[in-house]
Amino acid sequence: MRGQRGILIALAVLAIAAWCPAALAGEKVAEVKVGSVLSLSGGAANQGIQTKTGAIVAAEEINAKGGIPALGGAKITLIFGDSQSKPDVGASETERIIQRESVPVMMGAYQSAVTTVTTEVAERYKTPWLVTGSVADIITERGFKYTFRPNNKAVYDANEQLQAIKTLTQETGKGPKSIGILVEGSDWGKSHATNLRKLAKDLGYEIVLDEAYSPGTVDFSAQILKIKSRKPEAMVIAMYTPDHIVFTKQSYEGRLDVPFGIHSVGAGSEDPNFYKAVPPESVNYMFVQEDFQIDITEVAPWTQAVDKRFNEMLGYGLTAYGAQGYSAVYTIYDVLQRAGSLDKEKIREAFVKTNITSGPALIMGWQKISFDKDGQNLDAHGCVSQNLKGKRSTIWPVANRGQNIKPVWPIPAWKDR
Amino acid sequence: MDPVILGIAVVNGIVLGGLYGAIAVGLSLIFGVMRVINFAHGSFLMIGLFIPYWLWLLFRIDPYLSMLVTAPALFGLGYLIQATLIAPLYRRERAMVLEPLSVLMLTAGVGLIIDNLTFMAFGPDFRGITLDFASKALWIGDILNINYTRLIAFLSSIAITVALSLFLGRTDLGRAIRSTAQNRDAASLCGINVMRIYNVTFGLGCAVLGVVGCLMIPFYLVSPSIGLAFGVRSFITVVLGGIGSIPGCILGGLILGVVESVAAQFVTATSASIFSFVIFILVLFFRPTGLMGMKV
Amino acid sequence: MGGDGTMASQPAPRNQTPAIVGAIALGILLLLPLAVKDEYYLHVCIGMMYFAYMASAWNIVCGYTGQLSLGHSALCGIGGYISTLLFINAGVSPWIGMLIGGVGATGVGVLVGWPCFRLRGPYFALTTIAFAEILRIWTENTEEFLGIQLRGAQGISVPLRGERPWLFQFDGKAPYYYIILGMLLAVMAVTWWMERSRLGFYLKAIRGDQDAAEALGINSTRYLLSAMALSSFLTALGGSFYAQFFRYINPERNMGLDLSIELALMGIVGGQGTVLGPVLGAFLLTPAGEITRATLGGKFPGLHLVIYGLVLVLAMLFLPRGLIQPIRRLLGRRAAPAEGEADLA
Repeated sequence: MRGQRGILIALAVLAIAAWCPAALAGEKVAEVKVGSVLSLSGGAANQGIQTKTGAIVAAEEINAKGGIPALGGAKITLIFGDSQSKPDVGASETERIIQRESVPVMMGAYQSAVTTVTTEVAERYKTPWLVTGSVADIITERGFKYTFRPNNKAVYDANEQLQAIKTLTQETGKGPKSIGILVEGSDWGKSHATNLRKLAKDLGYEIVLDEAYSPGTVDFSAQILKIKSRKPEAMVIAMYTPDHIVFTKQSYEGRLDVPFGIHSVGAGSEDPNFYKAVPPESVNYMFVQEDFQIDITEVAPWTQAVDKRFNEMLGYGLTAYGAQGYSAVYTIYDVLQRAGSLDKEKIREAFVKTNITSGPALIMGWQKISFDKDGQNLDAHGCVSQNLKGKRSTIWPVANRGQNIKPVWPIPAWKDR
Repeated sequence: MDPVILGIAVVNGIVLGGLYGAIAVGLSLIFGVMRVINFAHGSFLMIGLFIPYWLWLLFRIDPYLSMLVTAPALFGLGYLIQATLIAPLYRRERAMVLEPLSVLMLTAGVGLIIDNLTFMAFGPDFRGITLDFASKALWIGDILNINYTRLIAFLSSIAITVALSLFLGRTDLGRAIRSTAQNRDAASLCGINVMRIYNVTFGLGCAVLGVVGCLMIPFYLVSPSIGLAFGVRSFITVVLGGIGSIPGCILGGLILGVVESVAAQFVTATSASIFSFVIFILVLFFRPTGLMGMKV
Repeated sequence: MGGDGTMASQPAPRNQTPAIVGAIALGILLLLPLAVKDEYYLHVCIGMMYFAYMASAWNIVCGYTGQLSLGHSALCGIGGYISTLLFINAGVSPWIGMLIGGVGATGVGVLVGWPCFRLRGPYFALTTIAFAEILRIWTENTEEFLGIQLRGAQGISVPLRGERPWLFQFDGKAPYYYIILGMLLAVMAVTWWMERSRLGFYLKAIRGDQDAAEALGINSTRYLLSAMALSSFLTALGGSFYAQFFRYINPERNMGLDLSIELALMGIVGGQGTVLGPVLGAFLLTPAGEITRATLGGKFPGLHLVIYGLVLVLAMLFLPRGLIQPIRRLLGRRAAPAEGEADLA
């Protein structure tokens, strides 16, 4: 028929067009490429950029001191991919970096939703992956052989928040009977809520509000009204920076009173950009649980140099995420040094045998980095701080609490401040 | 459910709803006059939010003042888009049967371009400004509070709507616009330059968005991704209120605002918008002219 | 063309060139994975064919009924979610789950289409958006439904099982490539068949003038819904493929307005109401995204969407019938199909 010629020629054109995207040739260079997928744009961009900066600072230090001796002084070259805060983009970027750059090891990706997917890709390609910042429990519960996580699992975070509340209750004799939960609706927030629910019930708290909000929410009037309506005595929230800013501002405007405080499990509340964007009065007395000891520069003076470099690069000092990026690169350095090779299997075995008990990799405040059979560091722990007159001071574990720090408990109502 | 909480939810809904109404007014005008579904409506609002944002960030210009810049800028943008991109489709209409969906897809394309150029330029982050008085609120009793910036936005939205109605009813240009809406060919026979009226109307619809954007930026975060959601919500408001009715727009906005705000107390707050869509569908099926619309 | 200058259609003398060219094109497509071992490149091709498939499935209802559906992503999401949930919760192979998902989507499509087809033009489009958004928002905010984990905005990952063909999972990309190629050829064949069938004939009448067609006794609802059913089923199959290939689905990507607009865009820019149009649209637009991402390294995210928008605007202004038009003209055909003549391109 007449039409046939048309389609078939068009098909031919199409088929030839399909050849056009050029394959990028890879070049082999005598350096160690470390791949890193992070959220460099999108809702979690701040944390991703901080992690990236920490990694860069660590790599700079290592290269300045002569690179990796066991590999003939090879320098570390970081290759970054942007997950755009989206899991499928992260997965795509992981594939691209592994395929095109032939990296022997990777790290990232901060967001649990993204890391869950990227570690699957890495597992398929038998490439070791060092997790940075992601807490979703499932990441080290899948029987994967190539995933290693130095930081907290979500269940540790939830546990630590409740332990802090319990400790303060014991110290003062007063504490909350009910808890409200408001979390962001992706992997991180939801898994935190799941853990909290279980642990809180075990400890006898009543959960009067349990809600997640979809990503991209910019108005919390309805949720804040709900909190006023249900009157939880303590609130636990899990929010990334932009949502946290709006929530904190609106709670401040609305004079939201929660007698035993708002307990934020990090992310937004660990981000210096958050503190710049909200009125100082709005964050007074807020509790923040994070992987990092916020006042570490006072406890471990060697970290001040890193803090200074951070200030030079980002305009603010060391953050939890920056420390994670820094720690990750030093951990990888330790692993490569013991592996003595770029072979992925040897690197994997070196990971398994990791036992770091001193050095820059412990900038987070942990005492040890080692990995159990699921790839989880059992010695990971975080700290809980309270914001006292603009300064965040560690109040839990009690052993980490500074001499003159006295937590405020219960929290004064707005009209009494 | 505590009646006080319910009452507060209703008040919150009214305040936000008035704003939604003002956002939709431009769309109602454009659709009423030109039968164009402007899929880029939300994208124009997004620009209307970015301009005062940047003016404040770079020069510390008060957003209420930057209306003087934003509204004309958006008028110009709307005029330009209508004159250069949409007008040719009208001319073609005389020759062949025009698929009304072509205009819809054209404006969708425009929206895509605007949204993504902005995305490329500014990134996906949500940005806001912090005015000094932005944290203060009007307190009624101990528990009901309305943030001042939102209150200003609400009252101004009503004012804009009234002003627009007066403009359409009392001025020559307004009458010209209305007559073009009623019957294009008759208006043309009366000596009205129909294409110019179209350009002006589109510009006007966008200028309103410029004003609203300046009202919103003190309390609303802007990002390149908000366009589509606002555009869709504006359609719902217009249909609910009735095509071609400016007061209907405000009424539609108020209803949607209150319904969503109250619903958010019972279901997950972020799923409350489902009710808006349900209302939209019901209105389209059972009362397509909307609450106050003229027979189309 | 008839030598006597009439508009009556006359079959052209048989020309062997198209058949040979077509065979070569098909051959290239079939042999591609064997010649090209770069998995990333195959990944891009699979993406292209996936969109070509989805745009073609969309075209079955929208290209031939004249209505614009901007809610097709919901059908995609239904397919993906049903096959994945059945797999995770009941161990049902996604091959079968896919078909069940298709049936589910067909049910939804027909149920929603039935009242919607009463609406005309932009109102129809807006209503499809409304229905799709309701589904998306509900899914995004629902953790669990009737005991089944939906996980809301987090989305669902298809568990990794390795090389298990019966479970629609493969280690390499080549099997996925052939599957989607097969699906694409199938949907093109279905479209071709439908054009020539009674259904296609009636749809053409309805599209031309629905009131007149009904006056002639054509039950327009029945035929519109048939096209809707076919389109829904096929779109859902695509959703299941997506779930199995990317091994992750979530409401925003698979039920969102962005996806619906992209499908409509490709179908319209390529040329709706034709067999090859949507494929052309997808094949030309999809690589833009991948190429910009690969060459600019993510420095300008969103650039490919600017390109899509630009192409759409230009197409609406200058080639409202789609890019397929100039290609047809190039081949010496009339710009538009004549009355009663069946089209291939």
